[in-house]
Amino acid sequence: MIVQLESLGTTTVVLPEGRLDFGAAAAFEKQLTEALAGRGGVAPRTVILDGSGLEYVSSAGLRAILLAARGAQRSGVAFSLCALKPAVREVFDLSGFSRIIAVHPDRAAALAAAPPSGP
Amino acid sequence: MDQPPGPSHATGTGEDLIAASGSTGPAWRGALHRAAAQLVENGGRYSRPFESLILILIVLSVASVGLEATAGLPAWATGALRWGEIAVVAVFSVEYLLRIIAAPDKLKFLLSFEGIVDFLSIAPFYLAGIDARWLRLVRMLRLLRVLKLRTYQLESTVAERTLEISQKNALLEQTQGQLNAELEVGRALQVAILPSAFPARSGFDGAARMIPATTMGGDFYDFIQLPGGQIGLVMADVSGKGVPAAFFMAVARTTLRDLAPAHATPGECLAAVNDVLCAENPLDLFVTVFYCMLDPESGVLRYANGGHNPPYLRRADASVEALRGAGGLVLGAMPGVDFPDHTAQLQAGYRLILYTDGVTEAFNDADEPYGEERLIAEVREHGGGAPAALIEHICQGVAAFASGAPQSDDITLLVVSREAIEKAGIQ
Repeated sequence: MIVQLESLGTTTVVLPEGRLDFGAAAAFEKQLTEALAGRGGVAPRTVILDGSGLEYVSSAGLRAILLAARGAQRSGVAFSLCALKPAVREVFDLSGFSRIIAVHPDRAAALAAAPPSGP
Repeated sequence: MDQPPGPSHATGTGEDLIAASGSTGPAWRGALHRAAAQLVENGGRYSRPFESLILILIVLSVASVGLEATAGLPAWATGALRWGEIAVVAVFSVEYLLRIIAAPDKLKFLLSFEGIVDFLSIAPFYLAGIDARWLRLVRMLRLLRVLKLRTYQLESTVAERTLEISQKNALLEQTQGQLNAELEVGRALQVAILPSAFPARSGFDGAARMIPATTMGGDFYDFIQLPGGQIGLVMADVSGKGVPAAFFMAVARTTLRDLAPAHATPGECLAAVNDVLCAENPLDLFVTVFYCMLDPESGVLRYANGGHNPPYLRRADASVEALRGAGGLVLGAMPGVDFPDHTAQLQAGYRLILYTDGVTEAFNDADEPYGEERLIAEVREHGGGAPAALIEHICQGVAAFASGAPQSDDITLLVVSREAIEKAGIQ
């Protein structure tokens, strides 16, 4: 699975592409942890997981995202999902995850919901 | 001098003397032999640097033959070459002697190809008067000896490394074998702890099967005897794979089994199980659970869903419906959450089909999932018979679909049937 990171001020957008299954989950978990920690000791205020390239999420993938959501909560980073494909959205609804993690229809909505940047 | 000093020591000392002076001659000869071997024999302690020295001298001396032949060389150069030649011959002579000393069979060495080449490379110097300068070129043949030795050493190093690698491989294979055997035991245990028989209730039949993935998975099902003759039906899937998932599965299953009889509704039961699992979840795993309580008297199904795939209800007319009632969160993710209760009716001739995503997410070589549509079609077509027969149909269908692609997730199915009215009426 390929994962791209985009930095927009104090917001980091994580863009995974492909299948988030058992084989990809461990590496993705690490990438999410790094995205949450930020670069040079400066943590982002918001981390948005953009699911527009995500084809499939298995239970192991859900676990990686759950751990990231917990980590974000601990360190006071706003964490949300956006632009999930219908099949992936269904997995989040079915597992109940969409009730404990914010899910936005698209990136614009996710960015609009992010806490304001600046000091 | 060599006589033992007293009779009391006679036996021991006598033997030592025989051993020391027997066939190898005096002690100094043994020492010299060993020292020579260290320098000139393969694998001797100083053989590599010594060899390199010889190699350099061979090249220099062969080059000097060419230089001497050059016309108009200044006198000092001719002198230097002459002294160089003397030094080279001195070293070669010492080396020749050392080789004779080190050789176990002296005559064999002297007459061997190497022995003759070594001799010819110094002989011209001693046979003064004969202009045998060209014979010094024989020294080039000595290069062969050194190169041959180098090749031999390289080969023996390769052989040594190959042996080492094959030993390590054997060890790895052994360890792998042990691990596989233990995983195999684990898989067998996982299947063995699940109930094999559906609790007998008049008018109802049930069957279940779990086919563990090649790596250990975390699926489980259960039939639980509840107060008042009710039956608890469980279908669950732990996130992840391997030993951690298997452990969590065992904990989840035991917790559910323990708590089920004490709770009046499935939702309350799942909430209680969730709180226990959240408290003891060092690896942050979670489990999706569909839990329903079947009342065989009325056919009422009360169920709650903790993030699991909605089961299917197949009616007597072969239509299939998913039990989609709003679910709750997966268990183990967050304490204190609610699980809404829902009710359905298992009427005469109906089937209830519980499954895990190992069925619908079995992939074929083209990376396509088996999918819900195929499963629904199978249920519609073959669901009318006995539960065990439907399970067999589905398992065969999934296996045929995957056509040999490795099974990456546990495949688990549970089917409960209620007899059709005509049959039930006869009783």
